[in-house]
Order: sequence, then structure tokens, then C-alpha cells
Amino acid sequence: MDVVRRNNVTVTGNPQGRTVVLAHGFGCDQNMWRLTVPALEDDYRVVLFDYVGAGRSDASAFTEDRYASLDGYAQDVVEVCEALDLHDAVFVGHSVSAMIGVIAADRAPKRIGALVMVAPSPRYIDDEGYRGGFSEDDIEELLDSLESNYLGWSAAMAPVIMGNADRPELGEELRNSFCATDPDMARVFARTTFLSDSRGDLERVRVPTLVLECTQDVIAPREVGAYVHRSISGSTLVTLDATGHCPHLSAPEATNEAITAFLAGIG
Amino acid sequence: MNALKITTRDAGTGPVLEVAGDLDYLNAGQFRDLLPTVTLRPGQRLVVDLGALDFCDSSGITALIAAHHHAQSAGGQLVLAAVPANTLRVLSIVGLDQVLTIHPDSEAATRV
Amino acid sequence: MMARAGQHSDPHDADDDKTAQAAFAALLEDSAEDLYESAPCGYLSTLMDGTIAKINSTLLDWLGLARQDVVGRLRFTDLLTVGGKLYHETHFAPLLRMQGQINGIALEIKQADGGRMPVLVSSVVKHGTTGEPLLIRTTVFDARDRRAYEEELLRRQRLAEEARRQAEADRARLQDTFAVLQQSLLPDTLPELPGAEAAAHYHTASPDRLGGDFYDVFPLDGKRFGFFLGDVCGKGPQAAALTSLTRYTLRAAALHDPDPVSALTTLNKVLHERYSASGDPRYCTAVFGTIDPDPAAGRLTVHLASGGHPPAVVLRADGTATYLPTPGGLLVGVLPTAPFTAASTTLGPGDTLLLYTDGLTEARTGKDRTSLYGDEALLAFAATQAGRPPHAVIEALDGLLAGFGDGLDDDTALLAIGVPSSDDPTSETR
Repeated sequence: MDVVRRNNVTVTGNPQGRTVVLAHGFGCDQNMWRLTVPALEDDYRVVLFDYVGAGRSDASAFTEDRYASLDGYAQDVVEVCEALDLHDAVFVGHSVSAMIGVIAADRAPKRIGALVMVAPSPRYIDDEGYRGGFSEDDIEELLDSLESNYLGWSAAMAPVIMGNADRPELGEELRNSFCATDPDMARVFARTTFLSDSRGDLERVRVPTLVLECTQDVIAPREVGAYVHRSISGSTLVTLDATGHCPHLSAPEATNEAITAFLAGIG
Repeated sequence: MNALKITTRDAGTGPVLEVAGDLDYLNAGQFRDLLPTVTLRPGQRLVVDLGALDFCDSSGITALIAAHHHAQSAGGQLVLAAVPANTLRVLSIVGLDQVLTIHPDSEAATRV
Repeated sequence: MMARAGQHSDPHDADDDKTAQAAFAALLEDSAEDLYESAPCGYLSTLMDGTIAKINSTLLDWLGLARQDVVGRLRFTDLLTVGGKLYHETHFAPLLRMQGQINGIALEIKQADGGRMPVLVSSVVKHGTTGEPLLIRTTVFDARDRRAYEEELLRRQRLAEEARRQAEADRARLQDTFAVLQQSLLPDTLPELPGAEAAAHYHTASPDRLGGDFYDVFPLDGKRFGFFLGDVCGKGPQAAALTSLTRYTLRAAALHDPDPVSALTTLNKVLHERYSASGDPRYCTAVFGTIDPDPAAGRLTVHLASGGHPPAVVLRADGTATYLPTPGGLLVGVLPTAPFTAASTTLGPGDTLLLYTDGLTEARTGKDRTSLYGDEALLAFAATQAGRPPHAVIEALDGLLAGFGDGLDDDTALLAIGVPSSDDPTSETR
């Protein structure tokens, strides 16, 4: 299957510039980067995509087998890099996508030359000597509520999502269409994300890395940012004065400044 | 497949049932249920006009036999009118053309 | 409210007027404040970072919290369950940022007593004069009824699915039962005919209904065989009972007196006695006959009689096919006495006698399924099979029936009896 179509790959910006790949995390899709692209497109070639199961990716390519582990998503990244024949690209990953980037860079070192991690977390559940921010019960509760279909995206968004899948021509007019994710696939992604533990992968990072964290982030608390920074030798940590888990939307200028400064530095 | 429609009217000779549509496994019950409600006095004719009949199967034949019995037990007679070619063929194979009175149209059937 | 000048006012009218006036006045006094605080939904205003700046009493009551513990102290996400918090961070907040509003998202709020209340949340961003986002106004709707409704829907959906599955299973079981019953109404095997061959087939139009066609071939005495084929009126269990009675009556009658007309006459008497009193006419059409094989001469003689049944077809070795007419025979069981028409024929090598029920000729054909297959078409088809042995003729007809697809409304029974042709490589003295 054509990877570009499968993952809804968009290429924009300066074809002469170094390639920057923007990867969304759990929740929504490449539209999350809409405030970041303008800051990059003059100097860089920008690649956006949706993981299979999210956004406007090809739903028929989704299998629970493959996407029940982060490796499956990392494979999406490797395949996108291969399809576009990328070399030495900068991978910008939000949330769990930062970990997906770590795995992808490990698998295809020639393709990815630098990492930017936006509000990353290698593990969400607290562990002995590690604060992830959630208890096992918390995550169980989350996954149960996804099962019972009560949370926003299944109850209210399902008709919107289903409409999207069956009648793509409605995609433009539907509100919330850029956050349309099939509830069943979202459930798999959520399970994969919140039960994951990629702490062991961090020490294998060999490329320049920027870690961006927010001052008030329920999903990736300060301790996690510090942990990631510590685990990747030579990494840079920037703390953004922002609340919430998506600084690229809630504090776009500060986020863009941090990213472009980093890119200029490793240029 | 056509729905069954039965129109009843009175003639000098007795009641006339005009049958239109399919008289088959699905609809024949409708015709048979109607029979007990049709009053026939001794010596009268129960005319069944099949001019608008589209299809008739063995259930339809059964319904006509039931009509024959109903007429007989009331002391009257069943007369079929305007029987379509296909149905006439079936009636002749099963030998009912020798048992039932058949007229070309209801005008002839209701002529005293 | 104007006083009606110059009219006597009924004391009751005056009281009603006063009540209405008082109510109207109360409405006017109802301040925007009161409307906000006691609205039937929850209102909430937060800064862009989620800090709660204003909250109405309705929502505070649902939460079981005091205003001073909330305003300026808690964020909107603090009111949500873990799942809600996660959903807020990953979907709700980004969407609100991107489109400036978000509607009807199902979440749960945590109540002080440990309970959770399902709600529907809508938010809109209020912008300042220079277009920058200032604050978020949120409305919270009680979704308990809706949740209960959705759960009820889901429950009913599951019940319906279960019922459907059960119905499917029942249907499969019923079809199996019918198949077994149907088989019991047909002979397991046909007897071997010396110097001749018999072949038969029953084609079911629908596995959901018991058909009413029947046939049989059986020995009469040391030399001759009896056969019959017919069609009882109706379908289903009643028809099956009639089929059973018909078969055994014919067999018994034949053993007593194999003359075809006598056998049908006996059947007519039995059916008429059994069913006419009930006011529910039941009958069958049938052909009954005897086969007298003469293997030395390579031929057999058939004597048959028909009671209202379509005429048999004789296929000759010379490639012709004709009807063996039996006009005038009446359906069996309808009248106390009935005429039955007899006919005879002799079959030589390569000749076959074909009996069938009207499922075949009444099959709906044509693009719109309005024309019937018919007698002429059957004869023409039979002519193409003339000279072939009975089992080949039956196979060809089975193929024809299969080709009718859903144009076949009725079951079809086929019985072919013939003398193998002398040069037939598959023929053996059977």
C-alpha cells in the first residue's frame, strides 16, 4: 500500500531546507501542528502525517496486532521516512510520539538525525522510584471508561467520526473533523500509550535531543521531564511557562522559539 | 407480485366478488376469510369475476374450491367469470372446468 | 392588565387577575444574577489556563463544593475524573484552541461524596478587543438521563442482537427438522426395475417450508411395480400430514387393486371423508400407474391415471417428446365422487416417461419474472434430452431448476422411468 496515502502524509515548506517531521501524539492528528508549521516552513521542509488509526489515515490498514505496541507506530515512522527517502531528518514528537521517535531513530539511524520531544513521557504509571503521574488504578479507570464508551470521543464524536469515514466529502464541513478518530482505534492507541514503558529505550539515544516540558502538565509532570532529560546524555531541557499538555497549541510562540533555536543550534 | 384486492357488489342474481391481483399462497387467506361474510340465499349465484386476476396458484385453486363449497352449502352456485387464460389452463388440468360453471364475463354470469 | 371599566367583575376573576399580575411581576424582578445562579445547567468561566474564575450554584451543588473552595483555587480539569482529565488534555483543549468552541462532549465530574455525574460539556473562547483569547465560558449539562438513555439503548441493542442470534439458531434447527421430515416423506431409494431404470429428484424451493410434493416406486407383485407422483395443496405441516396419508393410502390401495383409476378412486374417498367436514378443503393432484417390465423384449408397459395432474411427458429414442394426455381427471379429494382419466404407453429402448409437479411449469422466468416457464418450454427442453437415460434426464432438469433461482416459488418433484437404449454404455441389466 502507498505509505504516503496510508499515513496521509503532507509535505510543505522549503524543499531546500533540512527535513523536519512533525508527529502527533495520542489525541487528534497532524492538525495539532497548525501553529508550528508557519514558524518552520520558510527555512525547513516540513513533513506531517497521521499514524494509522488517527486522523485521515487509511483505516483499513489498522490491525490490532500491529498497533498494540509502540513498535507498530515506530514502523509507520520508518516507512514514512523510507517512502520520502529522508536522511538525517529532525523528528518532532508530541507526548508518546516522542518515544515512538526514539524507537524509530534506533531502527533507522540514517533517517533520523535529531529529536525534539514535546511534553514527552516514557511511562505514565508510577513505579518504584519513578513518578509517572498516574496510579495503576487511574489508568485502569481510563481504559474501563473507554471500554464502556462514555468518554467524549465515543459518545459525542462517534456520529461525526463515522460520518467522516463513510462520507469523506463531508469531511470539510464537519466540525471537529480534524480531530476525528475512530473510537475503536483510539481505544487501542490509548491502551498502547498509557500502559507503555519506554524508559529502557532512552539510554540508546545517540542524536542531539531537545526536551520541552510545560510547567503545569497533568499528563507529563515536571518529574518526567527531568527524568527524560537525565536519561538522554547531551540533551537540552527547556521548560515552557505553559499549562496543559499541548504547548504547541496553548503556547505556540514559546514552543516555536524553543524549537527553531534548537534547530539553528544543531544546523 | 401484486397485492390482492376484492370488491363486492350486488347483482340481481346474487353477490359478485371482483378479484384483482394475485390469488396465491400469501393472499388466498384474505379471499377465504371474506367468504363467510358474503350472504347467499338458496338459488342465488355467487359470481367471482377474475377479469383482473394476475396470478393464481394451488392456494388460489383451494380458495375457489372453498367458494364452491360455501355456495353449495348455502343452496346456491358458484360461477366464475372472465377467467384469464393461464388460470383457465390450470382449471382444465385439475378438472375443475367440469365441476365449476364458467362464463366469459360477469355480464353473462349475472344474466338471469 | 387593564381594569375592565364599567363591567361587573366576578370576585373569582379578580383573584385570578391578581395571581397573574403577581407572577408576572416576579418574573420581571428575576435578576440576571438569579437566572445565572439557578440555571438548569452548570455555568463556569475559566482563564485560558483553566483556573476557575466564576461558577454558578447549580454546578456547585452538583459538585458538592463551596464556592470559596473553587474560585481561583481549582482548575476545570480538577473537577474531572482521570479519564476526563486525559481526554481534556488530548482532545478537548486542543480542539477548543483550534476552533474556538467545542460542543456536546461527554465527560464525568467528580462529586465531593465520591460519586460521579455524567455530563455534557460545551465551551466557547471569549476573545478580547484585539482578538487575543481571554477566557473560556463553559456550560455543563446534566447527562444522567441521557446516559441512562444511552445505556438503555445499548442494553436493548444487545438484547436485540441476542434475540436475532437465537432466531437464527431456531431457524437453522427448524430447517434441519424440515429436511429430516421431508426425507421421511420420500423414498430412500427406488427399487431396481428389471430391464429398466427409475430416477427421481425432489427440488426444494425454500428450506424454511415443508413442501407438498411426493412420489414413490414400489413392487406390487413379483412382476409389476406401482408408482405415483403428486402435489398436495398448501405447504407446511398440514400438507406434510396429507402427503403421508396419500402415500400410504395409494400403496395400500394398489396392493389391493392395482388398477390406476381404482387406486385414485380409493384415495379420493379417503381424503374426502377425512377433510371435507372441516370446511377446510384439502386435496392433491396425482398420477398413479403401474409398470410392467419385459426385460427380454427390452420394453415396459405403463398404465396410468391422472387426478387433476399435469400430463406426463414421453421422451422417445428418436429425439421426440410428446405429452401423454389425461384430460378431464379431477383433483383428488374435493368431491365425493370424481372422474379420473386413464392412459397407457409402451416404452422401448431409449424411451423415458417423465412425471413432474407444477413447480416446474409455474416457475417465474423472464427478466422481471412475470412469465411462467410453461408447457411448451418444458416439451422443448424434454426433446433435447430425449434418448438419454432417466438419471441423465433428471440431472438436466435439476440444472434447469437451479437456473430458475428465486423464480421458483414451489417445490418440484421429478420422476423418470425408462428403458436403457441398447447402445447405452452405462446400461446394464438392473
